[in-house]
Amino acid sequence: MVSNMSLKKRMAKEEQLVLSLSSLYEQYSYEKYSMAKFEEYSFYSDNRKFMPGEGMIAFNSSDGRLMALKPDITLSIVKNAKMSRESRTKLYYNESVFRISDETHDYREIKQTGVEVLGDIDAYAQAELFFLALLSLREIDEDFVLSVSHMGIVAHFVDGLALPVETKKQLIRCFSRKSVHELQSLCQQHEVAESVCDTLTGMLSLSGRLGDVLPALRSLCCQPEMTAAADELAGLYHEIKDHPLADKVIFDASVVNHIDYYNGLIFKGYVKGAPGPVLSGGRYDKLACRIRENACAVGFAVYLDGLNYYYPNQTAKAVDVLVLCEGSAEGLLAKVNALAEQGLRVRVEREQGGIKAEKVYRYEGGKLSDISC
Amino acid sequence: MLNIALPKGRLGDKVYGLLEQAGFACPEMKEESRKLVFENPSAGLRYMLVKPSDVAIYVAHGAADVGVVGKDILAEGHYDIYELLDLGFGRCHMCVAAKEDYREDPGRPVRVATKFPHIAKNYYRGLNREIEVIKLNGSIEIAPLLGLSDVIVDIVETGGTLKENHLKVFEKIMPISARFIANKASYRFKGALIDSMAAKLQEREETK
Repeated sequence: MVSNMSLKKRMAKEEQLVLSLSSLYEQYSYEKYSMAKFEEYSFYSDNRKFMPGEGMIAFNSSDGRLMALKPDITLSIVKNAKMSRESRTKLYYNESVFRISDETHDYREIKQTGVEVLGDIDAYAQAELFFLALLSLREIDEDFVLSVSHMGIVAHFVDGLALPVETKKQLIRCFSRKSVHELQSLCQQHEVAESVCDTLTGMLSLSGRLGDVLPALRSLCCQPEMTAAADELAGLYHEIKDHPLADKVIFDASVVNHIDYYNGLIFKGYVKGAPGPVLSGGRYDKLACRIRENACAVGFAVYLDGLNYYYPNQTAKAVDVLVLCEGSAEGLLAKVNALAEQGLRVRVEREQGGIKAEKVYRYEGGKLSDISC
Repeated sequence: MLNIALPKGRLGDKVYGLLEQAGFACPEMKEESRKLVFENPSAGLRYMLVKPSDVAIYVAHGAADVGVVGKDILAEGHYDIYELLDLGFGRCHMCVAAKEDYREDPGRPVRVATKFPHIAKNYYRGLNREIEVIKLNGSIEIAPLLGLSDVIVDIVETGGTLKENHLKVFEKIMPISARFIANKASYRFKGALIDSMAAKLQEREETK
């Protein structure tokens, strides 16, 4: 038999990650959660803003209800998983989501893995989940960054401004684009007080290792809710600061999310080999409460989609033994079986072509001869 | 290696001139050739010349770490990128223009000819006004003259072309200029270099 280790080495990056991340989440006693591939369309359309801006694949069920192939996992988990405020439910999943690409209008199946904690969430539960996000990123690439922010800072401050809803959205967009020039021009256009504009600019420009920026962040907090949010980030940092991965945590005000759904810690993970975030998560009590009364929830998803492209497995196509057989193949199957039983990966061809192999044998006259260079 | 996507043509030439003065030179760029990728390995720079409307795509997909692109292209597409700096040149406006004697008929949707359907739809959605978009790829000014549309949504720099065709600006939708953009993941790993490039570009712009 081919050993599990050897098999894992040859797996595509996405498959390797499903195994290693599942094992990681099991270590921290998260339970595997499986779910159906579809839900009622209205369930997703009611919470559309929570999902990425891509279309859903809808169809009619046999009893005439409009259904959708699952475009999001978190919503289904919050709706269906058993939970109460008094106990803690810890789940992980390996599932596919189905969306219609905004760019190409093609149907897409996107593999996702992730974890959710529902119910009784204290500072420890949140810190453990955050730390798992760090470990998950390290599984993808040693060179990674976890950007973190808090809804109680930027989103809370912007939401409290006496400005039209559309302008608040534009301000948040300035944060997600790190556009100081657009932010200042918007403030000028809407006659926002200079002190408010300075606070916004200060927040947008603040970036660096979480431990390093905490004092500056605190000095920008001009409301009790903002100070509480900064304290929460400080508490989180205190829990992880002695671990080497703590240096990978960057405060970044450009990490923003929907204020109707998220209410606390928010984060996005990046690895050096991929052009966009590969992990995203946060505290989403507000969304959970829309679906189930008094619910609390925190979680993150790892986007496996595209990682095979950015991290191609160079050894995937290599074999241990290549057997070249130009003439009669009589008796060859027994020889190949014997090699395979030794745990080797064997391939039979007429000529080598571009196949990479540790050893190359020629089969002639019922015998194998080693012709490796 | 920092990968920089520049738009082919005048805008790209101008931006390269600024970057060269700011200490990000790549002598290969000055040579007469039909190459599209130019490297200065010792400085860790790689420039690529791409179609102006594709700069943001290269940056969003990480093929380029940074780039320079018009605000019109950014507003028309959905690019998850950082827009770090307004370079201040190539200034113009995205406008609604029509024949000088145009009077809007509120009883029917406005017919809008444009290269920028997304910007047009967004603008009229904000006014709660129904429109019919006619997507064109060039010579937009002809559309109202030939009765193809009521108005156009297009970039207006001096207004000369409009005037010669007896059209005039009715509304300014947004100011347009060249923007320095960065890929979000690249910024996490090459942020210091990208910030220093942005700061030097800003200094050059402010001293002008």
